[in-house]
Amino acid sequence: MTHLKNISTYISKAIISILLLLLCTTVSAQYQYRKKTVVVEKDTIPFFRGIAISTDLVGPLMLSASDYGQYECALKVNLKDKYFPTVELGYGKANHNDGTNINYKTQAPYFRIGCDFNILKNKHAPNRMFVGLRYAYTSYKYDVSKADFKDPAWGWNVNYNISNVSCSYHWIEAVIGVDSKIVGPLHLGWTVRYKHRIACNEGDYGNSWYVPGFGISSNTRLGGTFNVIIDI
Amino acid sequence: MQKIIGAIAIALLVCACSSIDCPIQNTVYTTYKIYNKADTVDTLRDTLTVYSKRVEGTDSVFINNDIKVTNFSLPISYMADADTLVFEFKNVNSIILKDTVTVSKTNTPHFESVDCSPSYFHNLTGVKYTKNKIDSIVIKNTTVSYDASKEHFHIYIKSDN
Repeated sequence: MTHLKNISTYISKAIISILLLLLCTTVSAQYQYRKKTVVVEKDTIPFFRGIAISTDLVGPLMLSASDYGQYECALKVNLKDKYFPTVELGYGKANHNDGTNINYKTQAPYFRIGCDFNILKNKHAPNRMFVGLRYAYTSYKYDVSKADFKDPAWGWNVNYNISNVSCSYHWIEAVIGVDSKIVGPLHLGWTVRYKHRIACNEGDYGNSWYVPGFGISSNTRLGGTFNVIIDI
Repeated sequence: MQKIIGAIAIALLVCACSSIDCPIQNTVYTTYKIYNKADTVDTLRDTLTVYSKRVEGTDSVFINNDIKVTNFSLPISYMADADTLVFEFKNVNSIILKDTVTVSKTNTPHFESVDCSPSYFHNLTGVKYTKNKIDSIVIKNTTVSYDASKEHFHIYIKSDN
């Protein structure tokens, strides 16, 4: 009986020992696996990765096909392929004369400043998808004129001219876009922008119509760019 | 990725449609409210016609035989320094009394959008009138714009008694 008890004790001890050994092996393996993963994910890419300049093709196309548009270029700094501080400079123009025969003219520079964030998992891929934010500002003057018309009630000639109305516009933009490497330093990309006015001064004569860099004056506006980008 | 691009394309297509943002209330009128001597709102008891001379010499009628109203609106010229209006009151016995009202003002062009009609806003600087039927006219709001809810003048009319 005592002999049997001893055998049973030995078997129990052996099973417990095997289980403990297995547990230790598993923990050790997991620990080693984690160590390996950490080593693989270590990013050795330098902080400063270069500068890119770009120009927009949509603005000049709008200018040639409609009453308003803009010329725009941008400077983008690449930090670790992840963060892209950006400055955009442009010159917006409008010369409208149809419909009710009201002529509206303005032309002025504008700027935007902000940052894009690469949202792709592989940050170092040749293509990028990003979201970003911009603060934008322009100071401009507009002229409005119309050919003389008759006062409907009295019949006198009415002259309608407003000149050199000083205005300013502050707005923010939420940006989403892509950027694809074509060949060598050449990239092509596009952005879609949600613009939200935060403050404005539209002068003493009501509203302005076209705002350089923003588009038609309103609280919010959607816009877009198609960019030719060159890495320097 | 394809879903995002599709959503953006749809958003751009929707936003490509232009809209015209002219105000619904886009006429510039002056409003006259009728008051009695006790300074409470009164009703027009006589028939009122208001007209002015056009530049070519014909009459431009703004109100034709209005009665039993407490207020009325009249147009204001775009650019003249003063508008001269003739108020013609006809009582139940068909007796006609005329008063000439001259409203002085400054004019400022107003721009809303290239899609909207051009307009002028005004600042009322004075009012002169004869006193055949009108007792007095008082300017209450000097700014004349698209805001039709403002009472610009309080007009006090003599009673027949």
